[in-house]
Amino acid sequence: MADAQPLLQVKGLTRRFGGLLAVSALDMSVHRGEILGLIGPNGAGKSTTFAMMAGAIEPTAGEMYFEGQSLNGLPTHAFAARGIVRTFQHNKPFDSMSLQENVMVGMHSQVPLSLWQVVLGTAKARAFEKHVHEKALHWIDFVGLGEYAKADVHTLSFGQGRLLEIARGLAAQPKLMLFDEPAAGLTATECLRLADIIRGIAAQGIAVLLIEHDMAFLMALAHRVVVLNFGGKIAEGSPAQVQAEPAVVAAYLGQLKVPHA
Amino acid sequence: MRRSWPWWAALVLLSALAFGLGSYQNDVYRKLLLWITLALGYNFLFGIAGQVAFSHFSFYGLGAYSVVIGITYLGWPLPLALLASMVFCVAVAWAVAYPSTRLEGFYLALATLAFAQLFIVVLNEGGQITGGTGGLANYRLPDVGGYRIQGPAYTVVIVALMLFTFAVLWRLDRSHFGRACRAARDNPEAAAAMGVDVRRTRILAYTITSTLAGLAGMVYAFVDNTVNPSIFGLENVFLLLFMIIIGGIGRAAGAVVGAVLLFLLPFVLSPWIGHHHALVFGWVMVLVVLFQPKGLMGLWDQAQHWGRKQSPQPAVQGPTHG
Repeated sequence: MADAQPLLQVKGLTRRFGGLLAVSALDMSVHRGEILGLIGPNGAGKSTTFAMMAGAIEPTAGEMYFEGQSLNGLPTHAFAARGIVRTFQHNKPFDSMSLQENVMVGMHSQVPLSLWQVVLGTAKARAFEKHVHEKALHWIDFVGLGEYAKADVHTLSFGQGRLLEIARGLAAQPKLMLFDEPAAGLTATECLRLADIIRGIAAQGIAVLLIEHDMAFLMALAHRVVVLNFGGKIAEGSPAQVQAEPAVVAAYLGQLKVPHA
Repeated sequence: MRRSWPWWAALVLLSALAFGLGSYQNDVYRKLLLWITLALGYNFLFGIAGQVAFSHFSFYGLGAYSVVIGITYLGWPLPLALLASMVFCVAVAWAVAYPSTRLEGFYLALATLAFAQLFIVVLNEGGQITGGTGGLANYRLPDVGGYRIQGPAYTVVIVALMLFTFAVLWRLDRSHFGRACRAARDNPEAAAAMGVDVRRTRILAYTITSTLAGLAGMVYAFVDNTVNPSIFGLENVFLLLFMIIIGGIGRAAGAVVGAVLLFLLPFVLSPWIGHHHALVFGWVMVLVVLFQPKGLMGLWDQAQHWGRKQSPQPAVQGPTHG
C-alpha cells in the first residue's frame, strides 16, 4: 500500500473563512487501492478538507499534488478530468434525466469529439454515443440498479439515489473517489451493500477516501484512518490504532464506541 | 447519408407545399417557418440550457440588419455580407454571453433584457446606417448565380433553414453537449464535479442558439424586404416564450407545436375577437402554468400513457439487497 509516490499528497493545506481557521497546515496522503477514512468531531475541518480535495473550494495556503502534479488553481471540472471524483452527502442527481443519462454525464471528461463532429453526425460521433450508452448501463448494473436504467431519477429511493451517485462517479473513471458521508440516511441493509461496493471499487485499484460519522461502518471498512480536530491531524493509523489513541478518545469525549468485531 | 433521409424527405415535402400555395399563403407559410425556427432555438436556450434570456429576438434583428447593411450601405456582394453577418452575430453573442453567463436566473434575465433594449436604441439612433425609426427598405435579394430567387423558391430556402436549425439542435441535444447543458441547468455543482465546464457550456449554448437566430434573421430580411426596429422589440420575445411554454418546455416537438398554434391562432380567432388574441394567449398561458406545466407535450404523454393502459411503472421500492 505504501508505494513510492502517494496518489494524492497534501502539504501544509490551510483554509481560512474570515477569522476562522477551518483547516490548518494539514499534511496527509492517499495511496492507490486503499480505503482511507477521514474522521473527527463536528467542526474538525473534515468537510473543508474534503471540499478542497474535490476542487469545490480553493485552499488559502498549502499544496495538493495528484500523481505528482499540483492541483492548485485548477477549476472544479478539471479535478474530474484528472481522476478525482466525488459523491455528495445530499444526493445531487440531474433531476430531468433518466438514470442512464445521469451516468452518461459522468463520462463527460472522456468525450473525444468536437461539436462539429456532433452536428455533422460523423461515424466517430455515433460510435462514441453508442459506447457511452453501453458503458453507462455497465456502471448502473455494477451498483445493482440495472432494472431502473431508463427510469427517471425521481422514482428512486434515497438509498438508490446514493448508488446512482456512485455509478455516475465511477463512469468518470476515477483514480481517487471521495465519498461524503456515504452511509448517512441509509438502512442497515443498504449500508452492507454500500460497504461491498466500496470494497469492490478499492479492489479495482481506485483509492477511496471517505468522511463518515457512522464509526461502526467506517472502522469495519477503512484500511487506514486520519483523525482531525481543530483543523489539524491528531492521529493516523489503522482503525485499531486510532481507537486506542488517547488524543482521539479525548477529542470524541468517549463517543468513539465501536461494537467489538 | 442513409441516416439523414428523414430530413431530406421533410425538405421535399415541406418545399412541395410552397408550390401549392398562393402568394399570400406563401407569405404566411414563410413566417410560420421562421417562427418555428426561432422557437426551436429558444427552446434549446431556455428549455434545455435553462438560461432565462430575453435577447433571442435581438439576434434575429442583428442578423437581418447586418446582412442588409452589408449589401446596401457597404455595397458588399451577398456571400460576403452573409459571412460577415454570421461572424458579427457570433462575436456579439459571445460578447454578451461571456460576462452574463456568470449570472443566473433573474440577473441573466435582466442583463439580456438590457441588451435587447439597447439594441432597439441603437437601431433607432443609427442614422443612415440603420435607417432610424423607419428602418431600411428599397433593397432586394441580389441575384444568385444570375437567378432571382423569389416566390415559392425563396420559401424553399426558409424550409431548408428551419430543417437545418432543427437538425443542428436535435443532434446537439442528443449528444454529450445536450446532456452537459441539462446537467448544468439541473445541478451546476454536480455537473462541475462530473467534469462539465459549466461556464463554457453556457457560453456555447448561448452563442450557438443566438447565432442560429441571427441566421434566421438574415433569411427573414428578404421576406418582407424591409427591416425596422418595431419588428425586433421585446413583445415578440415574449411570444416566443409563450410558444415554448404552451408547446412543452425543453422539447423540440413542443416548440414546433407551440409555434404553429400561437402563430395560426390569431388568423382563426380574428373573425370573433379582432386583434385581442393577446388576451387569449394570456389566459392559455395561465391555464398551462397552473394545470399542465409540461405544456401540450405533457398532455400528449398522458394520452399515450392512457393508450397503453398504464403499463406497470418501474417500482419505487429498492432493489432487493440480498
